[in-house]
Amino acid sequence: MRRLFLPLILLLLVVLEGVALDILPSNLIDGDLMITPHWVLMFLVLVAIFYDSEETYHSILYAMVFGLLIDIAYTGILGVYMFTYGGVIYIIHGLRNMLHSNIYTILLFGIMGVAAADFIINIIFYVIGIMDALWMDYLMYRLIPSILANSLFVLLFYPLFAKRLAKWREQLS
Amino acid sequence: MSLFRKKRLFTLLIGIIVLVALIGFSLRDRSELSTVEQFVNDTIGWIQNAISAPVKYVANIVENIDDIRDTYDENQLLREKLAQYKGLIYEAQEIKEENQELRGLLDKADSIRSYNPIHATVTARSPEHWIEQVTINKGDIDGVEVNMAVITADGMVGKIQSVSKATSTVQLLSGFDEFNRISATISREDEGDDIFGLIEEYDEETDSLLFRIIEESDQDLKEGELVVSSGMGGVFPAGLPIGTVKEVVPDQYGLTRTALVKPAANMYEINNVVVVDRKLDGEEGDQE
Repeated sequence: MRRLFLPLILLLLVVLEGVALDILPSNLIDGDLMITPHWVLMFLVLVAIFYDSEETYHSILYAMVFGLLIDIAYTGILGVYMFTYGGVIYIIHGLRNMLHSNIYTILLFGIMGVAAADFIINIIFYVIGIMDALWMDYLMYRLIPSILANSLFVLLFYPLFAKRLAKWREQLS
Repeated sequence: MSLFRKKRLFTLLIGIIVLVALIGFSLRDRSELSTVEQFVNDTIGWIQNAISAPVKYVANIVENIDDIRDTYDENQLLREKLAQYKGLIYEAQEIKEENQELRGLLDKADSIRSYNPIHATVTARSPEHWIEQVTINKGDIDGVEVNMAVITADGMVGKIQSVSKATSTVQLLSGFDEFNRISATISREDEGDDIFGLIEEYDEETDSLLFRIIEESDQDLKEGELVVSSGMGGVFPAGLPIGTVKEVVPDQYGLTRTALVKPAANMYEINNVVVVDRKLDGEEGDQE
């Protein structure tokens, strides 16, 4: 039963990402700012650091599966999120032992993760020809607001799940 | 699992090959989604349906409280307007009846104007901004097909991009590119003064649709004139409002002119939509 918790939470986050933009007041979306939720990625950062050990790779597997789900449900272009999330989580998984795991490192990893993921996704979209904004505009109106919004999300999720994830790991091993 | 560590380069290369293959597969011009995609879309759509209902309910309450403040002023204004409309309604009814009679005489029941409405609710919007699409809770079972027009009470918002069994995705007007043209017209009182053209694509910079004018008329185009679909493209019915003219600019060679059209419907606040199933079939394979 406990094994199902993680996939269920992740599935819920995938679904919520689609509803999220409806909740926000429309003048926020209507204007120039563009905020992209990367909640799944943020949660996977927590999983990579608190749930995985050196030898287990749950987070990377989940990153690829749920990245693919996001691709299917929200963009219709397969592989983009799957590849990006997989790669970013793999790097964070590799870096996890360099720093102590407390809220500051999580925040750092979260910011790095969002920045890297959003950037790679946009490079891929740029190459395919879907995105056609100036890179400067992209940086100001999209990347920075996205990073801020998503780090807020990490701050919210850290107290909720950090202890719990560590506990689930103990119980499973 | 040691594959991840020992053969990093190998895995990375395979990953990139898979990525390119998948992107190539999904960018190919395909008319139907694969079974797996349909299944995933339906599953996620089902959960979204369950979640978006209470979320919207709460969001609505907040909005309603806002609205109450303006209610009195609006009420006065609407009452005045209502009095004017009463006459119009009567007139429209007369004309409709007459139209039906005349159609009966001609033995021509369906025109390019008539359509079957399929009512649907928006359950999700793509969090990826470059991809302007929303998900609605009606699909194949309800008779939705690819390329049908999608409208709200204000006007056209987009067209159906792909269909699953119980959900489908709508490409919004703001995501239209040169591959989805709409043949449109500006209707005038005199038959000869109508302007025909094509809605070519959405321009991000000016936030408007580009309406390339093919057939000019003597009377000049004015700001604020209503652009509606003409039904000549074979897919969308005629008479769906698209937007109002904002500005007219000549193209780079000065041969034709392009009007910037402000979409009539708000692309960001879409809750209930109607999928338009045109009664009269266009030619097969006709791209609008």
